[in-house]
Amino acid sequence: MKRIKSFFRYDNIGLLYALPAFLYMLFFVGYPIVSNLILSLQNVTVRNLVRGSRDFIGFDNYIKLMHDPVFLRAMFNTLLFTVSCLVVQFVIGFALALLFQKDFSFARPVRGLLMIPWMIPMTVTALIFKFMFSTDVGIINYFLKSAGLITENIQWLTSPSTAMTAVITANIWIGIPFNTILISTGLTTIPLELYESAAIDGANGRQKFFKITLPLMRTTIESLLVLGFIYTFKVYDMVYVMTGGGPVNSTHLLSTYSYKLSFEMFQYSLGSSAANVLLVILLLVGVVYLKITMKGEME
Amino acid sequence: MKKLMTALLFAALLGGAVTGCSSGSGAVSATESKTETAKSSEKAATTASEKASETEKSEAAGDVTIWYYWETEGHQKALNHIIEEFNGSQKEVKVQAKYVPFADFKKQLSIGASADELPDLVILDNPDHASYAAMGIFADLTGRFDVSTYYPGPVNSCTLDGKLYGVPFGSNCLLLFYNEDMLKAAGCKVPTTWDELLTTAKACTTGQVSGFAHCSLQNEEGTFNFLPWVWSTGATSYEINSEGGIKALTMVKSLVDSGAMTKEAINWTQGDTMNQFISGNLAMMINGTWQVPTMRQEAPDLKWNVAPIPMDKKQASGLGGENYAVIKGGNEEGAVKFLKYATSEETCLYMMNAMGYISSDSVIAKKQFKGDPVYDAFVEEMQYANARGPLPEWPDISDAISLAFNEVMTDTSTPEEAAAKAQAVIDGIIKK
Repeated sequence: MKRIKSFFRYDNIGLLYALPAFLYMLFFVGYPIVSNLILSLQNVTVRNLVRGSRDFIGFDNYIKLMHDPVFLRAMFNTLLFTVSCLVVQFVIGFALALLFQKDFSFARPVRGLLMIPWMIPMTVTALIFKFMFSTDVGIINYFLKSAGLITENIQWLTSPSTAMTAVITANIWIGIPFNTILISTGLTTIPLELYESAAIDGANGRQKFFKITLPLMRTTIESLLVLGFIYTFKVYDMVYVMTGGGPVNSTHLLSTYSYKLSFEMFQYSLGSSAANVLLVILLLVGVVYLKITMKGEME
Repeated sequence: MKKLMTALLFAALLGGAVTGCSSGSGAVSATESKTETAKSSEKAATTASEKASETEKSEAAGDVTIWYYWETEGHQKALNHIIEEFNGSQKEVKVQAKYVPFADFKKQLSIGASADELPDLVILDNPDHASYAAMGIFADLTGRFDVSTYYPGPVNSCTLDGKLYGVPFGSNCLLLFYNEDMLKAAGCKVPTTWDELLTTAKACTTGQVSGFAHCSLQNEEGTFNFLPWVWSTGATSYEINSEGGIKALTMVKSLVDSGAMTKEAINWTQGDTMNQFISGNLAMMINGTWQVPTMRQEAPDLKWNVAPIPMDKKQASGLGGENYAVIKGGNEEGAVKFLKYATSEETCLYMMNAMGYISSDSVIAKKQFKGDPVYDAFVEEMQYANARGPLPEWPDISDAISLAFNEVMTDTSTPEEAAAKAQAVIDGIIKK
C-alpha cells in the first residue's frame, strides 16, 4: 500500500500521464517494427507468404543486400539526396528568413506565398516537376536554351547521370519553406538589444551575423538539421512519381527500393530488410536529436 | 528511468515519422505499407471473432466484391453495366466492384493476402496470376468451370501445377500502329522487317515527330512491349544472353541511337505512347488491342492502320490480358455464379466489344468484330502471341529483362553486357 502510494508521488505521476500515449505507440508503432524485424530474418516470398513454413535464415537477407549493387546505389543515393537537399534548403531558407526579417512592403503577403510549396501535395509537385524536366517540351530546357546555356536539350529524367539532379532539385523546392519558418521563429527569440549594443560598439553587419545571430541560433539550427534529415531521408512519393527509381535504377532511394522489392518483386523479407536499414539509420539520427533537445532543456 | 521513458517515447515517435503522415498523397511509403500490413493483420487477429460473424453475415446476404484496375472510363462503365444487370437479374448475390489503381494493385493484393482481407473476385494482369496462385490465395476452379473452348495461351496463364486457378477474362496482343499520312509523306511502305523498320522510322523522324516508339518503362509494361523483338529471333523469354536476345537488344539500341525511336519512351506508359501517336508526335508505335476504342473516339480524323510487328526470323507478338480469379475462402459460390454470368456469350460479347478485347473463348472470339479490319488483324495475330511465364517468380525475370533494355537504351551498358547480367538473374531463378 505504502509502495503504491509512494509510486503516485509527484515525480512519477508524469509517467502515468504519458502512459496512454506510450501504450498507443507500443501497439501501433512498436508492434509493426518488431514484426518487420522478424520478417527480415525470415525467408518470405510468394511461396510462403500465406501458407507454408517461414524459415529463419538469420542475417542472410542483410548480407544479400550488401552484395546487391542496386541496394548500395540506393544507399548512396539516399545519403546524397539527403545531404544535398539539407545543405541547399538550409542556406536558401536562412537567406529568406533574414530577408523577411526586414519589414519591407509586401513582406507579409510574400512570406505567405512562400508557404505554397509546403502546402501542395507531394505527388502534385512531383508531376509538375516531371513535366518541367521533360526533354523536348519541358520549360527548364526551354529556358536554358533561350538563355544560351545549352545547345542540345538535356535528357534530365531519361539519362541516369542527370535524373538524380532533377529529383533533388524538386525536393529542395519543397523543403525551403520548412527551413524558412523554423529559422524565422528562431530569429525572433534573439533580443534586439543585443544588436543595438553591438551597433553602438561599432560592429558591422557581418560581425553581427557571425557573433550574435549564429551562436544564439545554434540549438534551432541543430534541431532543424536533424528534423530535416529525418524528413528528407524517408522521402518516397517524390521519387516514385518522378522516376519510379529509374532510369536503370539510378534514382532508387532506400524507401523506393524497399517498396519495389516487397510489392513489385514479391521479395517480402528482402524488402523489409531494406526498410530496416532505413529505420536504423533514422534511429541513430534520432538519438542525436534527443541529445540536443535534452541538453537544451537542461540549459 | 525518466530518461529511458523519454527515449522509448521518442523511438516510438520517430517510428511514427517513418511510418506515417503520407496517407493523403496516394503513393504510400514502403515502410508505411508494411506497418499497415502489420496493423491490419493485427487487427485481423484481435477482431477475428468479430470478423467471422461479419463474413457470415455478408455471405448470407451474398455479397461479392470485385477488385479491378482499369483506369479507362469505357472499361469501368462496361463492367458496372454488367454488374447492374446481374444484380437486377437475381436476388441472392449482390456484386460490387472496387477500382484499385494498377500501381497499387499488387501491393493491395499482397497486403490483403497477409492480412486476410481480400475481395471475393479479382480481375488481374495475367503474368501475375502464377505468383498469386503460388501464394495460395486463389480457389481451385478445376472441374468447376469449363474452359475447353478457350485459347490455350490464356488458359495456361491461369494454370499452376496442372490446376486451374482462374478464368481468362479477355485477351489482347500487340501490333504495329502506323500513321498512314506520315508514311505516305515520307514515301515509305509499311515495314515488315527490322531493317525496313529502321529506315522507315528514320525517314519519318522530323523536328517534332519521332519515327517510332513503344512503351519502354522499367516494369512489366515495358517488358511486354520489348519481348516481341526477342521472340521474333526465335529465343525465349528465358534466353536473353543468346544470339537472339543480344540481337534484339542491339536492334533497340540502333533505333534509339539513330534518333528514330525517342528515348522519352522509357518514361511512357502504353497510354502515354498512344496519346503521343494520336497527337501526331509519333509515326509508328507498338501498342495493344485495348487502345483501339479510345483512339477511334479521341482522334476520329486520324488516318492510321495496324500491321504485324516487323520481324526478324518469325512473326511474334505479346499476349496480354486479364484473368478472373476467385479468392479462396471468400464467397466462392457467389463469385463463380457471377463468373458464369459474365462469361456467358451475350455478356462476354458486350464487354469484349466495349473494351476492345478479344475473347479468350475461341467460340465467342470468332463471332466478334465481323468485317472490322483492325480487329481482324488482332484476332489473326493472336496465334503468334506468346505468353509471359507462367512462373511464380516472373516479376523477378521481368525486372531483369526490363533493366537490360533500359540499360541499353540509356547507353549505360552494351547489349552484350546487359544480356549477360539479365541472364545471370534469370538462371538464378529458373535453375533453382
